[in-house]
Amino acid sequence: MSHATDESTQIQDPDQPTDSDQVREIGHDEFDPVGALALIGLYFLILVFLWFFMYFVEFLGNDPTVVSGIVSVVTGGVGLA
Amino acid sequence: MSNAYIDQFPAEAKVIRAAFYSSFFALALGGVFGIIQTLHRTGYYRFIDSADYYTVLTAHGVFLVISFTIFFLVGIFTWAITTSLDRGVEDLRFTWGWYGLMAVGITLTGVAILAGFTDATDISASVLFTFYAPLQAHPLFYLGLVLFVVGTWFAGVDWFRSWWAWKAENPDERIPLPAFMVLTTMLMWYIATLGVAAAILLFLLPWSLGLIESVNPLLTRTLFWFFGHPVVYFWLMPAYMMWYVLLPKISGGKLFSDPLARVVFVLFLILSVPTGIHHQYLDPGIAEGFKFIAMTNTMFLLLPSLLTAFTVVASMEHGARQRGGEGYLGWLKALPWRDPVFAGMALAGLMFAAAGFSGMINAGMNINYLVHNTFWVVGHFHLTVGTAVALTFMAVTYWFLPQVTGKQLWSRSVALGQVVLWFVGMTFMSNAMHRGGLLGIPRRTAEPQYDGFEFEAAVGSVAELDAQIALGGVLLTLSLVLFFANVVGTALNGRSDDLPDNSYAGTLSGPEDAPQILDNLKLWTAIAVVLVIFAYTFPLLSIIDRGGLFGPELVELPLSTLDLESISALALAVEQSTIATLETTADTATAVIAGVIP
Amino acid sequence: MRISKGGLLVVLALLAPLLVELRTVLAWVNVELSVLESAAIGLILVVAIFVWAFWPDNGNDGPTSDSSPR
Ligand code: HEM
Ligand SMILES: [Cu+2]
Repeated sequence: MSHATDESTQIQDPDQPTDSDQVREIGHDEFDPVGALALIGLYFLILVFLWFFMYFVEFLGNDPTVVSGIVSVVTGGVGLA
Repeated sequence: MSNAYIDQFPAEAKVIRAAFYSSFFALALGGVFGIIQTLHRTGYYRFIDSADYYTVLTAHGVFLVISFTIFFLVGIFTWAITTSLDRGVEDLRFTWGWYGLMAVGITLTGVAILAGFTDATDISASVLFTFYAPLQAHPLFYLGLVLFVVGTWFAGVDWFRSWWAWKAENPDERIPLPAFMVLTTMLMWYIATLGVAAAILLFLLPWSLGLIESVNPLLTRTLFWFFGHPVVYFWLMPAYMMWYVLLPKISGGKLFSDPLARVVFVLFLILSVPTGIHHQYLDPGIAEGFKFIAMTNTMFLLLPSLLTAFTVVASMEHGARQRGGEGYLGWLKALPWRDPVFAGMALAGLMFAAAGFSGMINAGMNINYLVHNTFWVVGHFHLTVGTAVALTFMAVTYWFLPQVTGKQLWSRSVALGQVVLWFVGMTFMSNAMHRGGLLGIPRRTAEPQYDGFEFEAAVGSVAELDAQIALGGVLLTLSLVLFFANVVGTALNGRSDDLPDNSYAGTLSGPEDAPQILDNLKLWTAIAVVLVIFAYTFPLLSIIDRGGLFGPELVELPLSTLDLESISALALAVEQSTIATLETTADTATAVIAGVIP
Repeated sequence: MRISKGGLLVVLALLAPLLVELRTVLAWVNVELSVLESAAIGLILVVAIFVWAFWPDNGNDGPTSDSSPR
């Protein structure tokens, strides 16, 4: 059943460029994923910002809430404003 | 002579092809119903009777999230196992066997659903993909689902067999990453499907056959969501697998970290199931405390997704930098955007990031009340399963089709247009759905308009939202047409000798850096089972206690003198046998796995 | 070209969510755009991106298609 026994080395050939556009080889130690960090960091900031945004617009802005007790005190002011 | 998948594994390539074509057929059907209901509920074009809306919606849901996704993923899982272990399946007849079982099963289910359109038979199954009681379907519907799921179980057995055989020959090697992902996903799936199996076999099927008079709707619903949340990961984990093992290669780089990828899949195995109750925040009859536990588990589930985001983006960045990319964000320009496989997966990932936000809203117990059962939820899951998964699957199709057919892709440009069009269409549709949900527009409604009441939009108007949804739906449908044109065009191409090799991404940090314990599937399965028992024992117990195993009417059975106490005794007995079953299952699984590890 | 054709297509696609949400954000500061006005802004942005994309890079190396430098 096993047709590919002798091709095993090709299955995962790390040095084979997948695209002819590769201009350099970057190994494990030279690679510093600052770009990924920047992007994910940005995403995280947006997420946190949207979370706060949601809280004010949708939660405090709409009248009946589940945890009515404490929050309604706060909402009273905001809601009337 | 090329070295594509079909050259290495011609027989397996046939099975995968069959699975793909079944998947695409379901996608086509589901897409047709999708545009019908979009135009219907926005009021643009209503040619079906609103009474048939549920039949349309059931077909859309079941064909897309059961047949399209699962047929596709069994295809890529078969690819992953054979390629990464470098061996064919153990017994080809068995492989065709589970494929056949799945095909027969979903055909029965599909026939039962579609029969709802005609009065010629009294067969119908307009119960939506959640089949909540008291909605009742013809027995064919449930029977078909059971066969389909059993087919996937056998598929898992097939892959475990391959692994066991490989392990016997390579006792000291780490499980290759793609195989590891398949095995952990299937373990999760086995645990998860116990829920639907119980719901269908013990309650819904006998009830639909008239063997039992009634069911406890909250019980079957809870058992459904026991399965319903992890099924989400059953769709998502194959998409993640593509992002981990294919995307880095397509980007021109390597996977940033093999150990992190393993950690992510282990976390999914452990945490997927004990969260299902987060779909039931609004169900009366489940105590707040249980819902709170489900919420906590859900928040923990964000972790593997964030880890995935980082690892995947870092791998893309590695590719971009090898292609000459520079700067903090400038490297983004060096990515191969012209390649539809890459562009599709990247856009799918981007939409998934947006879905992360609406998901956070859904997951919060009190914020959920705001959006529960509104159109918001539909907007959310068209970003997740409808794009992160579906668009990833369509994008990788452009890589897989040549591999399993041995034919060149019909058109890369059309393919690029297709994935971009999906992104744009989904932007319009999903955005307006979210927005409509915030106004309180309900989901699952043929005519969401009411006499003497109007939804008030904060920005623009409801009519504008409807227009946006219809526009999005039309663009998505066009995108599907382009997709099928490519699939058919490729199938009509001649055999090519000039295909890329079958391979997947190498790693920057390989399995040798991953602690050995990560490969201990026994351990993780056991932990997963324990967590499930923790999360579900008491909720199930109290649901049965209050509503009866088969609904309140049970009191009238021969045991009519039953008082509340003996009901709870009965409930306890059932509960204990359930736990025992779970434990035995775990033991069996452990024993089976232990059997192969000397 | 300053950007690959595929890249350009994707940039244009990314414009869609921005435009759609721009209305909401502006409404937050009491600027109410109509659909037509949003579409007009979209058109202007599309044209601007096209001009940017096809403007010769620094004027000296001409409109060769490249994706790496810069
Ligand atoms: C042509 C593309 C699509 C269009 C136009 C479309 C449209 C819609 C609409 C309008 C609804 C809501 C109906 C209602 O609640 O009344 C819906 C529901 C749904 N869609 Fe889609 N959709 C598309 C693609 C997809 C894809 C690719 C998937 C998943 C892979 C998907 C999964 C679902 C599910 C699970 C539901 C919920 C069904 C239910 O409530 O029972 N859709 N779709
Ligand atoms: Cu869930």
